[in-house]
Amino acid sequence: MGPLIPNGVIPADWDSIIAILIGIVFGFVLESSGFSSSRKLAGIFYGYDFAVLKVFFTAALVSLIGMYYMDYLGYVDVSQMYVHPTYLWGAIIGGIIMGAGFVAGGFCPGTSLCAVAIGKIDAIVYVVGIMIGVFIFSELFFLFQPLYEGSYLGNITVEDSLGVNPYWFIFTITIIAIISFAVSDIIRKRNKKIFY
Amino acid sequence: MVKKKVAKVLAFRYMILAGILVILAGGLVLLPKHEKHEGIKTAQLLSNVISPERYMTTDILADKLINQDPSYLLIDVRDEESYNKYTLPNAINIPLAKLLDEDSEMYLNQGQYDIVLFSNDNFYADQAWILCNRLNYKNLHVLKGGVNEWFNTIINPLKPTESMPTKAFELYTFRKAASMYFGVAYPEQFKAIAKKAPPRPKKVITVKKKKKAPAEGGC
Repeated sequence: MGPLIPNGVIPADWDSIIAILIGIVFGFVLESSGFSSSRKLAGIFYGYDFAVLKVFFTAALVSLIGMYYMDYLGYVDVSQMYVHPTYLWGAIIGGIIMGAGFVAGGFCPGTSLCAVAIGKIDAIVYVVGIMIGVFIFSELFFLFQPLYEGSYLGNITVEDSLGVNPYWFIFTITIIAIISFAVSDIIRKRNKKIFY
Repeated sequence: MVKKKVAKVLAFRYMILAGILVILAGGLVLLPKHEKHEGIKTAQLLSNVISPERYMTTDILADKLINQDPSYLLIDVRDEESYNKYTLPNAINIPLAKLLDEDSEMYLNQGQYDIVLFSNDNFYADQAWILCNRLNYKNLHVLKGGVNEWFNTIINPLKPTESMPTKAFELYTFRKAASMYFGVAYPEQFKAIAKKAPPRPKKVITVKKKKKAPAEGGC
């Protein structure tokens, strides 16, 4: 039956409308879990708040496990899922740049827009910075193009590239997640409480 | 009392949640695996197999070929050797063994052409049809009787006897004409040519040159 849009259960014309609805809900959840505060987001780098790690890791796990159960029961075909293509070096360097921006600015692109919505001035400055970055990238695209389009590995998953059993992989990731949650809790308790 | 109990349980809430996650993930590992059925459902496949809709007669195919219908794609599922010896005009060779290769998929799995599978009889073509149909490929046909039937009906049609109905004669005329299109020569053709052959002696029309009249004396 699923995924719904590729199998025509929902017409593809509804893409944008569904995206807007999911976006609104996503923004609401981000804001209500306090992710529009740069102090909370940056807390993971200083060791006083690990909400980001916990929320995103849990979200990934819940969707991953749920998806594979639905696949097992025949409601969703995992092989039909969209897999984002991998451009290895582009992803690594882009990831480093984004990480640096995350530490320095205290937002990721999604949460910065959330914070703009509630009127935070630092987030407005941050988004302006993103726009300038986008402008520079587009203008100098001919310089970045080999990196941007190079080392293309296709729409691969860990399952394809490492050849591991997906179920065991999910189980291992779950264990890793829970250990990381426990460790992060220990680190947070050792650090001084910071009011923010 | 109840509140205290609830509080006691809730003190372990993160442990409980972590436990649920581990159990669910472990469940995925432990669940008995079953082979996933690719393509259409078994019942659907069976009803497709029984239905004779897939068959296409050689006459219809000949008609399509002569009219140069561009929407038909002929696929020869015999081995390469037979393909090189004889095949239908403009056929592509995809031997049965290579049917599920990636290169073959772009010919078979598309919605633009009507595909006609054929082999010597329709036996191998039927096998190819079942494999492709199971994968839910569209617009597949099988040439009824295959190349043998093609040879018996189109290339070398049987002359109807005099007691047969008119339709048989019409069909024969069509098949004969079709076979001529595909390059079969009939003795009548040669007779017709033979009649033409001796060039008629050209009529020699002698044009008498007007002799210039000698100037006659006038008045």
